[in-house]
Amino acid sequence: MIEINDVSKEYIMGDNSLLALNKVSIKIDNGEFISIMGASGSGKSTLMNIIGCLDIPSSGNYNFNKKDISKFNSNQLAELRNNEIGFVFQNFNLLPRLSALENVTLPLMYSGKSPKNRNDLAIKALEEVGLKDRIHHRPNQLSGGQQQRVSIARAIAGTPNIILADEPTGALDSKTSSEIMKILKLLNNKKITIILVTHEQDIALYGERIINMKDGMIIEDKKNVIN
Amino acid sequence: MLLIDLIYLSQKSLRSNILRSILTSLGIIIGVSSVITMISIGSGAREEVEKLIDRFGSNNLILRSQSSSSRGVSMGSNSINTLTLSDMENLKNELPAIKAIAPQVSLSTQILANNNNWLSSVTGTNNEYFELGNWSFETGRKFEEDELLSGKRVAIIGKTVQKNLFEENNPIDEIIRINKVPFTVIGILEAKGGTAWRDLDDTIVVPLKAAKQRLVGKKFPGDQIRSMTINVSSSDLLSKTEKDIDTVMRKLHKISANGNPDFVVRNFAQFLNARQESSKVMSILLATVAGISLIVGGIGIMNIMLVTVTERTKEIGVCMSVGAKKKDILYQFLIESLMISLIGGGIGIILGIGVVYGVSEYFNWKMKLDYISILLSFGFSSSIGIIFGFYPARKASNLNPIDALRYE
Repeated sequence: MIEINDVSKEYIMGDNSLLALNKVSIKIDNGEFISIMGASGSGKSTLMNIIGCLDIPSSGNYNFNKKDISKFNSNQLAELRNNEIGFVFQNFNLLPRLSALENVTLPLMYSGKSPKNRNDLAIKALEEVGLKDRIHHRPNQLSGGQQQRVSIARAIAGTPNIILADEPTGALDSKTSSEIMKILKLLNNKKITIILVTHEQDIALYGERIINMKDGMIIEDKKNVIN
Repeated sequence: MLLIDLIYLSQKSLRSNILRSILTSLGIIIGVSSVITMISIGSGAREEVEKLIDRFGSNNLILRSQSSSSRGVSMGSNSINTLTLSDMENLKNELPAIKAIAPQVSLSTQILANNNNWLSSVTGTNNEYFELGNWSFETGRKFEEDELLSGKRVAIIGKTVQKNLFEENNPIDEIIRINKVPFTVIGILEAKGGTAWRDLDDTIVVPLKAAKQRLVGKKFPGDQIRSMTINVSSSDLLSKTEKDIDTVMRKLHKISANGNPDFVVRNFAQFLNARQESSKVMSILLATVAGISLIVGGIGIMNIMLVTVTERTKEIGVCMSVGAKKKDILYQFLIESLMISLIGGGIGIILGIGVVYGVSEYFNWKMKLDYISILLSFGFSSSIGIIFGFYPARKASNLNPIDALRYE
């Protein structure tokens, strides 16, 4: 489904340039659960942003569902993010003024779904993450774990094929972390591809495939057998 | 994205900063209320002038006798009637700019008819009076030539007189007693309505000769009259004719150029012009205030929208990550600034209407609320919202998703 060939990303800051990704190639199939690991500055977040179409590679090509998206314009990229990809962030990134339900509805608003239709979808997504009784709470009335569940519900509301989770447990305690990871695992069982970025070993072990990065390159790509 | 969703999201974020939103719209509030007040003053003045012209006729000069205080004793304005019919003929002959003259004598007296009585003012004049005063007839007719010459006892009555003496009955050919002298009603004047100082329809018009012979004989001996309404052929000639009348009258009455005249010429148009002029000055002043505050208000909106965009950069990034397109973000912020300016416009309209009613109520300054001004204000405020909101909104929409998302 995802095919990245020789992708590099270079940041230019004044006279210095920083090579965040150095000719990375990777292939990801439908329904995989991948953990990307690495120290900070290893390029794992950059890779994830490029996979998520939030950032554009400096060179190389990126095929998504056999389409070369390096030629996409910003509208096409926005549509792709809207329809195919769900994001889960470390700091949840919920809109503070909107209720849980409205936050989950947001991507559906952008895709132009009718109010009735998108409400049903959003409630279904919130049910799936076990937050049905808190749909009218605002983010500041929810605990960290609950906020992260809202953000997962937002990611799955538009029924995407891929969820990109960037350090989803980074701001949570270990008990809540494992709850969140269980939800992600559950989603993966429903054939949603999960790409997880983390620097925590025990979190990475939820993945079936673990990729290690260092200095903008993939240094290890191995299967992880889960018992 | 649906428009209703954009509006919903915008009002959410405006409400979270309600004081800021209102303070931002202050410039628009002042601007819009000035626009409304300005237009109301303008149209109030125009309407008043139109009404006055309608009532008193245009291009008219009024010449009336005035007590001279030559021996240091003022005789009161009614004591001496120095104007005569021969003055009238002389003026007509000497000044070609004069189109018509209606001579007048008048008195206030008791009228009896139909077992009712009513105090009204009676004017003795000729047929020119109706034309110069913009009077039209509801029913009946003007005076016949021989009625004027012989001083026949016929009367044309105003609407108020008709109502009070005859109620709903037809008064034509009925007899009314003016000062006990019987007159036959031959016509009814169409109603003009009241002015602030008197009811114009409370009037009775009779032939000049009839009035002089039967009603005011002692007061106006010979061919003396009280005043004349002089109609000038064009408005450009009004002031010149006014001066000419003064010259001719001084010659006729043998008064030196710097002596005290026993007459006075009133130029009604001049009075109207002065009135219009002063309201124009006021309007220009308010237009300036309106213009400046609308621009300042617009800049205020732009400023606060730029702050908002910066504050919400991360939020914009989040929206983009879940699929917001450039135009979604653009519209979102445009609608927000549009809403701020429309809130300002709405408050400004209410304030403006309040000012208009307040001022015309307490200061007795004629203002007329023009509904065009409300439409115009809506137009002004919404275009300011869009014009000044565009730059910040575009700035927001052009953000790079990942940069916006990483912004702290």
